[in-house]
Amino acid sequence: MKKWFSVVCMLVAALIVGHAIAKDWKIIRIGTEGAYPPFSFIDKAGQLQGFDIEIAKALCTTMGTECTYAVQDWDGLIPGLLAKKYDCIIASMSITEERKKKVNFTDKYYMTPAKFVAKKGAGIKISKEGLKGKIVGVQRATVAEYFLRDNFGDTVKIKSYATQDEANMDLTSGRIDLVIADSVALIGGLIETEAGKDFEFVGPDFDDKKWFGDGIGIAVRKADSDLRDRFNKAIKKIRTNGTYKKINSKYFDFDVYGDSSPTK
Amino acid sequence: MLNLNGYSWLLWQGTQLTILVGLFSMVIAIVLGLIGAWGKLVKAKIPRAAADSYTTVFRGIPELVLILLVYYGVPTVIQDLAKAVGREIIIDVNPFVAGVITIGFIYGAFSTEVFRGAYLAVPNGQIEAARSVGMSPARAFRRVILPQMWRYALPGLGNVWMVLIKATALISVIQLPELMRNADIAARATHLPFTWYFTASLIYLGITIASMLIQQRAEAWAAKGVRRS
Repeated sequence: MKKWFSVVCMLVAALIVGHAIAKDWKIIRIGTEGAYPPFSFIDKAGQLQGFDIEIAKALCTTMGTECTYAVQDWDGLIPGLLAKKYDCIIASMSITEERKKKVNFTDKYYMTPAKFVAKKGAGIKISKEGLKGKIVGVQRATVAEYFLRDNFGDTVKIKSYATQDEANMDLTSGRIDLVIADSVALIGGLIETEAGKDFEFVGPDFDDKKWFGDGIGIAVRKADSDLRDRFNKAIKKIRTNGTYKKINSKYFDFDVYGDSSPTK
Repeated sequence: MLNLNGYSWLLWQGTQLTILVGLFSMVIAIVLGLIGAWGKLVKAKIPRAAADSYTTVFRGIPELVLILLVYYGVPTVIQDLAKAVGREIIIDVNPFVAGVITIGFIYGAFSTEVFRGAYLAVPNGQIEAARSVGMSPARAFRRVILPQMWRYALPGLGNVWMVLIKATALISVIQLPELMRNADIAARATHLPFTWYFTASLIYLGITIASMLIQQRAEAWAAKGVRRS
């Protein structure tokens, strides 16, 4: 009985590891969402895939570090980083003033505008008046949500979702009239899918700095400025040595790094 | 109707993990249930108070709250405490361990009541007879009471298991890729919510039906000493 008990104790101890933080960054633990195609998603074999993941892998190779990946729901990503469940967030997170109060960001690794999507031929005009009474879906705690609340909050009904996919599903099933999100995520996650073939972009690109910040960056804890500097160096390197371009063209037929908007 | 788009393997993986989580949690629940029932039945005050507060707390808090508390809350508190005394540590609780422990503790509280009821159902004369032939309390429990307790406990334990296996779906919130989480991933990736949640519900139903059949056998085994009238 005693022997059995000690075996169980050892097993539990082995699984719950409390260890000191190694500051040499030989292993970097990356937190990501895994529910934001084509940037990060889980494939049929249960593996993480997507633009974010490949950028992360390229950065790790450049820095010569080993990387592990943790999947975390979107609204728990920053709390998880602060709780030290991982060391950085590579999950298409916009660099905003609000988030900078809690975490530090690297330089951007891509930047694309946000857009509305509605059913083809719905004839919705994107203005305070045109959106009056419409139900708009957004992902909770995203820049799109803050933008929508501040600019159209008094006329539209906002429905917040835990993932963008859920908002998209409710749009295609007719529960909501529009969604607003990053245009590239909407192309890969909605418009180009079978379920989204009757839906289209409406209205202009939105990329106002006040809400959408300085593009998409990697978040690290405030104390880890050395890690941020290493990431910045690595981002510059993959930008110049062609690695970034290779990943970019694998996923998109336009440049996601710059300010140019997608062609579709 | 059911076009699984190649995600069936992911669902199969999830099913295995769900069963594994269920079995591990059930073992913890049974062990804690026996200890808890002992605590409630002895005359000593301290075990009694401990068992009473255990069942009150764990039956009184929703599973979801406890799972989030164990997985997110506790490690953060320990880290902050360690930092306050000047030590930087990372508590890395794996979602499997956090889930199994939480579910095990909650359903241990329910099993406590099942075992307590089963113990009380064994006629007192049996215990007295066992003690009078010189068995120690522990031996009397193991040889005489426990075999008879199973007959009374199994229907209740089967019920606990049924609720437990469904409660494992809650662990999906801490990103453990069990059946519910993987069904969710597949539903979002394929945009076919009906297909995937329906398939997942059939699998859960399959698990519970199989459990019922096993339970019938187990009950027959436990009742082998009792003649049917």
